Amino acid sequence: MHMKDGNSQTGEVARTLVGFLEVAITMIVFLKGFYPSAAFERRRYMNVVVQRARHPELRDYIHSAASGLLPFIQKGLVERVAVIFFSNDNVPVERFIFKLTINLSSAASVEENQLEFALRSFLIKLSVAKPLVKPLPPNCRWEVTAYLRSLPEVGSSKEGELWIPTDTKQWMKPPVITPVKSLNSEPLCLQLYLEHPSLSETQPCQAL
Amino acid sequence: MKRSIGSNSSGNSGSSKKSKKSNQKTLGAAWGAASRPSSSSYRSSPFSDFGSYMEVKNRKLQDQFETEASSGVSGSEELIFQGVSIFVDGFTIPSHQELRGYMLRYGGRFENYFSRRSVTHIICSNLPDSKVKNLRAFSRGLPVVKPSWIVDSISANRLLGWVPYQLDQLNDTQPKLSAFFAPRRHSNPPVTSSQPETGYSEAEEGSSIIAGDSEESRDNVVDEIDGVYTEKTTPEMTAQTRTDKLKSSEVNAETLGNYDKEEKELTSELQPTSNLPSASDNKSSHGKPVAPAAGSSVRRHSTVEDPNFVENYFKNSRLHFIGTWRNRYRKRFHGSFNGLKWTDSGQNTAENANKSTIIHIDLDSFFVSVVIRNRLELQDKPVAVCHSDSPKGTAEISSANYPARAYGVKAGMFVRHAKDLCPQLVIVPYNFEAYEEVADQFYDILHRHCRKVQAVSCDEAFLDVSDLRDVEPEFLASTIRKEILDTTGCSASAGIGGTMLMARLATRVAKPAGQFHISAEKVEEFLDQLAVGTLPGVGSVLKEKLEMQNIQTCRQLRLISKDSLQKDFGVKTGEMLWSYSRGLDLRSVTAVQESKSIGAEVNWGVRFRDQQDVQHFLQCLCKEVSLRLQGCEMIGRTFTLKIKKRKKDAGEPAKYMGCGDCDNFSRSITVPAATDDIEVLQRISKKLFGSFNLDVKEVRGVGLQVSKLEGADPSNKGSSKTLTSWLNSAPASIQTEKDDHVFAAEVREIPADCKRRDTGGVSSLRECNSAEPSVQSGDTNSSLPPMCHLDMEVLENLPPELLTELDGTYGGKLFELIEKKRGKRKINSDSSHVSLDEPHVAHPPFARAPNERAIETNDLMPLSLSQVDVSVLQELPEELRADVLGAFPAHPRQQSSSDAPMETCKKQDKETTYINDGENEIGFSSSSLWFGNPPLWVENFKVSGNSTLEKISEIYCNVAQSRPMLSTVLQRVISEVGSFHDASIKDLEKTVDDVCEFLNEYIKIKVEGDIEEIYLCFRLLKRLAARSQLFHQVYEIVSHFIQALISEHYGGSLSIP
Repeated sequence: MHMKDGNSQTGEVARTLVGFLEVAITMIVFLKGFYPSAAFERRRYMNVVVQRARHPELRDYIHSAASGLLPFIQKGLVERVAVIFFSNDNVPVERFIFKLTINLSSAASVEENQLEFALRSFLIKLSVAKPLVKPLPPNCRWEVTAYLRSLPEVGSSKEGELWIPTDTKQWMKPPVITPVKSLNSEPLCLQLYLEHPSLSETQPCQAL
Repeated sequence: MKRSIGSNSSGNSGSSKKSKKSNQKTLGAAWGAASRPSSSSYRSSPFSDFGSYMEVKNRKLQDQFETEASSGVSGSEELIFQGVSIFVDGFTIPSHQELRGYMLRYGGRFENYFSRRSVTHIICSNLPDSKVKNLRAFSRGLPVVKPSWIVDSISANRLLGWVPYQLDQLNDTQPKLSAFFAPRRHSNPPVTSSQPETGYSEAEEGSSIIAGDSEESRDNVVDEIDGVYTEKTTPEMTAQTRTDKLKSSEVNAETLGNYDKEEKELTSELQPTSNLPSASDNKSSHGKPVAPAAGSSVRRHSTVEDPNFVENYFKNSRLHFIGTWRNRYRKRFHGSFNGLKWTDSGQNTAENANKSTIIHIDLDSFFVSVVIRNRLELQDKPVAVCHSDSPKGTAEISSANYPARAYGVKAGMFVRHAKDLCPQLVIVPYNFEAYEEVADQFYDILHRHCRKVQAVSCDEAFLDVSDLRDVEPEFLASTIRKEILDTTGCSASAGIGGTMLMARLATRVAKPAGQFHISAEKVEEFLDQLAVGTLPGVGSVLKEKLEMQNIQTCRQLRLISKDSLQKDFGVKTGEMLWSYSRGLDLRSVTAVQESKSIGAEVNWGVRFRDQQDVQHFLQCLCKEVSLRLQGCEMIGRTFTLKIKKRKKDAGEPAKYMGCGDCDNFSRSITVPAATDDIEVLQRISKKLFGSFNLDVKEVRGVGLQVSKLEGADPSNKGSSKTLTSWLNSAPASIQTEKDDHVFAAEVREIPADCKRRDTGGVSSLRECNSAEPSVQSGDTNSSLPPMCHLDMEVLENLPPELLTELDGTYGGKLFELIEKKRGKRKINSDSSHVSLDEPHVAHPPFARAPNERAIETNDLMPLSLSQVDVSVLQELPEELRADVLGAFPAHPRQQSSSDAPMETCKKQDKETTYINDGENEIGFSSSSLWFGNPPLWVENFKVSGNSTLEKISEIYCNVAQSRPMLSTVLQRVISEVGSFHDASIKDLEKTVDDVCEFLNEYIKIKVEGDIEEIYLCFRLLKRLAARSQLFHQVYEIVSHFIQALISEHYGGSLSIP
């Protein structure tokens, strides 16, 4: 929307971010132990050891989810990207939230290296975040959800068509937040935190 | 088995895609074999067992490495790593791919898999704790070295001892705990000792010596003395790059001659007449350019005879003078005139070029006029400047005055020919001091009259006078010209036009000693007749091309569309032709530009007999380049060596000792660390020269250029550095900083009470517990840090038995030290009394914030003990558990379920009031407490008269330099909280308010972008709350505020640890 001079630079930041998201989402899925660990292989990204899905479909899903965000990120529409794990009754049990704000006007001055350096700390933190997460319930599933500041016009871009409105159930009560990592450098403000249902939430759920 | 996994974790740097892939496969296999013996990937392997597979693979990797090593440029590199075989473990900087490349190039070996037999050094920057604890199992006794060892060794071009580079784990990255964690291999931080060997520190010492930098292309005419050669990104670039490509000196000179006609026209009479077939014949004694003119000098003028050839060469080079002059100019005028300020407005004038007025001012035949200004007898005679008045006359005239030009004498002409044309021609030598003086006067005058001056050369400048509306430009030009004549005794010509192009063209008409104004209306008329060849940037090649299309004048050029021009001549040239033919010129008068590369080139008098000559010559050249780098306060990473080699069939050049018809070669190398160090330069240039594999007798010119420049100034280094170099240098700086900080600061002013370790700080004690033992369990070769380096705070927190043990290793002096420090502190602050059992005593109920409600009001807190997950409770640290338990009503069982809703209501009431409080507070103070540096509160607290607040303020000041975060402050507060004494109740209330306010404001600032920090503070506060009455109250208040803000911004509440 505000695409002006810093256009290409913003694009650069957005592209880096999308690449990072793809890796981070994979890391989260790996961290949760959603698939057997043999489903992942070790790769190097930003000079950090990360995981990559070996199954082409899983890889494609994550890749398309992340890269599908690119036009929206470039327009500054994306507010949060969530990786949500559900129990079998479609109620979220854990949400990894990437809350992001890109300052489009000042993105021009960013240095790729510094951005990578900052993002790397996320990956490192993620790789040791196991104690923060809860064990998965049986028969669970997961998805990537993006929260946009405003809904994009229908058919405004081809990439946008990959995304569908979500029908995920929401929690009744405000969730409990566990911050994982925050980055607040000029063009990009990115925070990763966990959301769990509040303790009082579980009670009614179980009762239902 | 484990080894191979470890090596995988380091990530293999497969050089080709193929090898990478195969690595990945093994990875699966290795894991499979390790964790699941029946793994399918293992079974499907075509090899009979894992061992044989690995064997074959290792062999293949080795073969690949060897082929690569033998194929590269490596032949010319010194094999400094001969016999060294590294194994890279984990994340390193430079990445292990780069390390592998270095090993390839410098004769080392790179092992993908660890093996005790083949590996000689393990390279890593970090080790996981498990490996540190089991260092011997991990390293098998091999040295574990930081990657900087390799980088520094390359910088120093010899294998440095690895001992100072031994991994001093965590010491430099996470000094607090880790200093006691890692087996201390040596007490002194190795980084410090190694530092002088890295490029930076040397570079920083660079003194400011004037050196050549950017120079106008007009000066690139191949002169007898041709030197300084630097590139710029000005529009003139086009002309310059073209020059670079030209093979022979004639064409070269011609192009440039066209570019600036009046001075630099080269005669086409470069007949190969003088035949001196071999270098050794050239031992005749022609004078080299020296101040007392011609002929008399004994100076020798080829690399063959003169050991100081390079030095003298540059000393007597006119171009070198011009180049160095620019630097002088920059230093002289940049301080007094704000360059940036007018660059901006200059941009504006370029946009509305119609209104702008530019004066181009040029001293007439500068090099001659200056010399003869005090010699009246020469005033009207034909005079030319040349460094040599030899009878042979193959020296080129560098500048001729107008009387001489009348005879057809031109710059670039051989003296011999000039004398044919004008027998009475007087040849005078250069007078560099006078040039400098006149140039300074010239610019003094210009700067006096106009703010916007762009120096083109020592005798030529553009003035942007668009802003000076009240003065007629023509009047201004004549005033300036008159002043110049009066002051310097040299005449100047001025051209006035709407653009730099027009001004420059006007000057041509104006010369000599006149001025000419091309007004906007007359531009077209003027250009109509102008030959395309006279446009700046149009050289002979381009002119020929244009003439083939039957374009001779700008009028004809204007008929062609921009598109087709760009199609025929390239985007940039086409654009240039199109706009120049219309008198358009987007350039604006700007300050002196930063150069992109710095270097020196010699292509006159270069004759080598053997390798030794070359070595010597390169040494001198490097010295020159190094001096120039230092003069510009730059350091560079990429070094390019240019060689001019005599063309096979080319005879000895017409120009005496000239380079003649040459093939140009260039090769470059990029090193990891930027440098201006002369030794590094020498080594690199020798290496590069060797890689050409030339017959040294054929070499006619050598140039060394340094690019990828960075400022040598340590202060702006951080910004211009690449990540790699930044990270490389980081550990060093952190190390020293920390040393100062932790040891100097902490020891001095931690008034922690001696009894604290018996009372509070259970968890901090635990940290110490876990951290401490490794000091004892360190390797046998570990040595103790000097006692003065010990962190008193940590010491005092040690359990007594450990302390005793430590004391033993220090020969009993430790206790003395501690006693001494304690004694001092006691004297300093008589306030340090603490109730021994404070944390255990139930907090006296305060009317304001009763214990129970405080924690209970929290969303997350179960209403009664029955809802508490016992397993969680058990996991909690003792102190926390006590807290949680204490937070429940004294008799939870008696609380009936019907009470619960009421309780909740009450809670919510309270909560809302708190929120309101918080908002109001912020309403009028609007985060001002955290405004400024140091923030406002620091000062407020300092003068508050309250010991606790003073303490906090003091702590902040101490940590502010390294990390001005509240969490850091709180961390320190935790360790020192024992010494805080709780004041009277009335005082307490006020303190609580103050602290809350300052915390709330901080939280408000951070909530948007950094909940990580808030969370950290939150948890720290909770820990503090268990230890201090004050913080207990603060926590109760602030936690609500935090939760409220978080839920406002994130729609949830922070989880409580």
